[in-house]
Amino acid sequence: MPEIDPTEHDIAELGPKIKDIDDEQELEEMLAMEKGGEGRAPVITLIEDRLEKVGGEDEDADPSEADLTDMTIADIANMIRDVEDIEVLRDILEREKEGKDRKGAKSQLEKKINNLEEDDEDREEVEYVPPEEKHPDLKHPTADKLYVEGTVDGEYRDMWVYCETQQGELLDVSREMLGKTRELMDGYNDDYDEDEDVIAVLIGDGVDDLTEECLAYGADRVVYHDDEQLTRFQHAPYTEIFCHMCRDWEADWRDYHEPRYTVFPATNNGRDLSALVQGELDSGLASDCSGLYIESADISNPAKTGRPGETKTFEKILHMKRPDFSGFEYSTILCIDKPHRDFHPQGASVIPGSFEIPEAEPEPEGEVVEHDLDLPEEWFQTTVTEYDQLDEGVDLTGHDVIVAMGRGIDRVDPTKGIELGLELTDQFEDAGFGLSRGVITASYEFGGHVEQYITEERQIGESGQVVEPELYIAAGISGAVQHKVGMDESDTIVAINTDPEADIRDFSDYFIEGDLFEVLPRLTEALAEGKLGAAIAEASDD
Amino acid sequence: MTEHEHYEAVVVGAGPGGAAAAATLAQHGVETLVLERGADAGSKNVSGGLIYAEESAPYTIDQLFPGFREGAAERPVDEYYIHNIAGEKVETFDLHDIHHHDTEWCDAVLRRKMDSWLAERVHEMTRETGGGLLTGVRANGLLREGGKIVGVTFDELDPITADVIIAADGVNSELARDAGLMDWEEPEDWFQGVKAVVDMPPEAINERFDVADDEGVAHLFSGDLFEGVRGGGFLYTNEDSLSIGTVFHLDSLSVERAEPHELLDSLLTHPLLAQWFQGEYHEREYAAKLVPDSKKVAHPSPHRGRLLLVGDAAGQMQAQGPIIKGMNHAVTAGGLAAEAFAEAKSRGNEEAAGTLYQQKLESEGVMDQLRPTRYRATRFLSESDAVNSIGSSLLDSAVGTAGIKLFDGLLEKSFNSPFVLGMIPDTKLSYVTVPTRIAEVLGDPVYDENDVEPPALDDRIGDLTYDVDDPHIEVLDNSFEASGTAVTACPVSAKDFGGGCYREETVETNGHEEKKVSLDTQPCVECGTCAVVADTHWEHPSGGKGVEFKQG
Ligand SMILES: Cc1cc2nc3c(=O)[nH]c(=O)nc-3n(C[C@H](O)[C@H](O)[C@H](O)COP(=O)(O)OP(=O)(O)OC[C@H]3O[C@@H](n4cnc5c(N)ncnc54)[C@H](O)[C@@H]3O)c2cc1C
Ligand SMILES: Cc1cc2nc3c(=O)[nH]c(=O)nc-3n(C[C@H](O)[C@H](O)[C@H](O)COP(=O)(O)OP(=O)(O)OC[C@H]3O[C@@H](n4cnc5c(N)ncnc54)[C@H](O)[C@@H]3O)c2cc1C
Ligand code: SF4
Repeated sequence: MPEIDPTEHDIAELGPKIKDIDDEQELEEMLAMEKGGEGRAPVITLIEDRLEKVGGEDEDADPSEADLTDMTIADIANMIRDVEDIEVLRDILEREKEGKDRKGAKSQLEKKINNLEEDDEDREEVEYVPPEEKHPDLKHPTADKLYVEGTVDGEYRDMWVYCETQQGELLDVSREMLGKTRELMDGYNDDYDEDEDVIAVLIGDGVDDLTEECLAYGADRVVYHDDEQLTRFQHAPYTEIFCHMCRDWEADWRDYHEPRYTVFPATNNGRDLSALVQGELDSGLASDCSGLYIESADISNPAKTGRPGETKTFEKILHMKRPDFSGFEYSTILCIDKPHRDFHPQGASVIPGSFEIPEAEPEPEGEVVEHDLDLPEEWFQTTVTEYDQLDEGVDLTGHDVIVAMGRGIDRVDPTKGIELGLELTDQFEDAGFGLSRGVITASYEFGGHVEQYITEERQIGESGQVVEPELYIAAGISGAVQHKVGMDESDTIVAINTDPEADIRDFSDYFIEGDLFEVLPRLTEALAEGKLGAAIAEASDD
Repeated sequence: MTEHEHYEAVVVGAGPGGAAAAATLAQHGVETLVLERGADAGSKNVSGGLIYAEESAPYTIDQLFPGFREGAAERPVDEYYIHNIAGEKVETFDLHDIHHHDTEWCDAVLRRKMDSWLAERVHEMTRETGGGLLTGVRANGLLREGGKIVGVTFDELDPITADVIIAADGVNSELARDAGLMDWEEPEDWFQGVKAVVDMPPEAINERFDVADDEGVAHLFSGDLFEGVRGGGFLYTNEDSLSIGTVFHLDSLSVERAEPHELLDSLLTHPLLAQWFQGEYHEREYAAKLVPDSKKVAHPSPHRGRLLLVGDAAGQMQAQGPIIKGMNHAVTAGGLAAEAFAEAKSRGNEEAAGTLYQQKLESEGVMDQLRPTRYRATRFLSESDAVNSIGSSLLDSAVGTAGIKLFDGLLEKSFNSPFVLGMIPDTKLSYVTVPTRIAEVLGDPVYDENDVEPPALDDRIGDLTYDVDDPHIEVLDNSFEASGTAVTACPVSAKDFGGGCYREETVETNGHEEKKVSLDTQPCVECGTCAVVADTHWEHPSGGKGVEFKQG
């Protein structure tokens, strides 16, 4: 007797209960009870489903290895019901012939094989209906695009890299992308025995100065558009120019339809441009990628293969890896042609810092092409009226001399100490004024006129700036490692400290044991008289 | 109402408490997201490091994480001694009985290794539930709707809501503070632990401590070597290093204006340790952290709405005399909190999780371990000065001395009694005077010469790894009266040292001189001390920022 008599329960109650019953026998009995009782169709289905599940569990035998001699003809028929692979079926048939050679079993197998073979022949290409006809209710913005028509089996070549610039310099991410794409295309040319290039694209004002650098970081060819109207990134002209470059069939250096691959930086501007360009070129975009590689891909999606059930190998596919929003997982995105429409260029934007900046080639070779196009006025309908430049701060690198002050200034009066340091700084033609972190984070109250100098921008060391001047004068600085790493590459280091045991002595060329409030004025004076060297040598203990 | 990302459970902190909670939640099929501020789990954590599996505990770490002892721990610790020290005289007691009382096993651990091992498993387990573990994310407060706690806010992520929030964010829990369940006011509620991990090849450990490859030992130290500051020292053997440290009552450390790094050095350079160093000393890492004293701050009702506190966040750190038990209780509490939520959920009443958790802490006897009633009864009597001085004079008298001699065996026995240890009052008498007298009367002198030189504070700081960010601590009142204690009590600051966090400065304002303190958080090891002893606005640095411990 089964534990549950289905006829005594509502269907809602039975659902969860039946889930826990694993005994076939018990289920069969319940089925019989229900049929003998009200015979409710949903209850019967429920029990039958469960029966199938429970019964199915122990029939998991792998058809290609199952021992046929143990099986009844019905078992075999059941087993092959879901087998689609003709080879496997043929193998089973062979084994049956060698084994029990049952007529019933053989005919089951032969029938199935025949069916599948016919199926294969019947399998036709999906009929192509242009999207405009298939979905007349939707808008089709690409329908009237000049270039969309005809992009089937187009000719595509090369890897194009948009090299973003800022203040007349390449962004690091541009260098990173050039390095990565160089590596990809070297591999590509080897694997496919091709000769395709890395093309660097530069757009802006004054970018002609950067072409050499693009070659140095890995481009074979640089295409640039230099125009003073292009100082700032703007959607319309940048997109138009980039797309025009891609389809500039007049250009004599190229003989293909559009780029095979495009790569953009996933910066604010790069993200905008990548989306606009890939849209205009009627292809797709994998944004914010952190890994790229080129490989073939086996695809069975009928939308891409054109034949359901068929697997087709697509060559030269750019695999674009991107982290998902949680950062837990990665997805690899592929951009693949359809039977009646190409999806090229295969485009990606790349998160800055994902790849290494390569070594620059000292004497790079390559072609530089100036892009020739008049820029119509309507591309510049938007104008930038105002912009803010983030404060660049104090740059202490590149000076001949640095005078740096530490907490030794509090012995007498911190304000006075800073004044003395500034006076000394002024005596040199090209000197910068620096501080230890100890001063910046102190609670000293400085006089108004020197307060402006007490900022983190002047900090020298591990978490500040790293300087290598010809002369570094450290007054009242103990020489903590975190300070040391910011200055110990200086040519000559002069330290002024009251403590003869101060760590800084170990890496100073001249160590003046003394009170900075006395020593600094003397140095300033000596300098005014042009006798600094002598003064230091005289005062120094080392 | 804004739509926030939602999980059934959010666990903040991936120490032993968070790991145990997350694993148990995952076992109950609860969708669980774990967030940890360290760049890697364990990179923020310090412990002495003996983790106990108690026979009576409902949850132990190896039961939740099979393979823990082989994969995440150092040496099993079987032997346990305390040395009472007076000058160079030492009297050693074997604390075998108390160490093994209710102990299934006990292993030494280093937290970086342990916590990152746990985190990998936690990530696997919680992913199955649709969640996971994210490092480098700092919770900075609770999300409330209509006054009710509904989720957590972060520096790095948008707010996340949850049906239950388990705050396993350790001592100085910002979530417990935000909920109003804990404050950081009283120095007497805390200990400060400081520790050095010292290199020693496995063969040397085996030989010098007389142990086999898979054996280890613990030594504790108390008496007069810490300038009268209440507390003691420890030494535990790891696989190829030693963990040596000190744990002091923060109020005592503050009042005595003691320098924690110097107290550690007194231990490191004591002649007793010469037999183990044999003239060699290489310090791998210097670290520090506050430790709550459960006797005073274990929260009797550690929950509010959907928020449940576990481990140090709830003050569940038991100092059983010299034995420190925090990690095991964090594991138990994590398991119980998770279990409570799963049970509440199955009853369709998730709101009940907090109350259920509290009941479980009580019925499992955890609460009585953490806050023994005996202690409450004896505390007020014996911590008063009168008793203290009577006690001292008694000890100094001839009768006292005779008593100690007479009761030698009995004393060792009473150290081995959990009952007696549970009511030891936190006075100088029990921490300093008694051990010192024991050593004076019973001890034998050590003649070894210990000439090791521990690194100076600036080198200790220089050897640590930091990813510095904007200051995470703000001094609200920089007068010496309000915040000057931090100059000495901060383990990486010292009087007359310009390279520390807190520095004493004399400033001239309007013609008169004033003593002030300034703060640079860059050398900060995030121990939490100045949150209690100085007038500050104290937060942890953002995810992945600040100090990174490699040993822990
Ligand atoms: C020197 C010393 C010696 C000790 N000795 C021992 C001993 O021998 N045995 C013992 O059992 N215990 C010992 N302890 C105590 C023990 O270390 C603690 O009790 C135990 O670590 C508590 O575990 P927990 O999970 O509650 O918290 P923790 O281990 O502190 O874990 C908290 C976690 O939360 C994270 N976190 C904190 N805030 C946030 C936030 N806002 N957002 C995101 N994540 C956050 C932290 O990074 C950390 O990973 C010692 C402690 C010290 C300092
Ligand atoms: C992660 C981290 C990053 C850090 N990054 C930096 C950094 O980038 N840059 C940096 O500088 N620091 C940095 N520090 C801080 C650094 O460790 C030191 O604390 C700091 O450099 C000390 O500054 P100081 O030498 O001015 O002060 P102190 O160490 O206090 O030295 C003052 C010196 O002045 C001498 N002195 C006193 N009176 C006189 C007098 N009248 N005349 C002459 N000498 C006198 C004293 O003998 C002493 O040697 C960092 C610290 C950490 C932990
Ligand atoms: S600054 Fe505060 S939190 Fe940081 S190490 Fe010092 S006392 Fe600890």
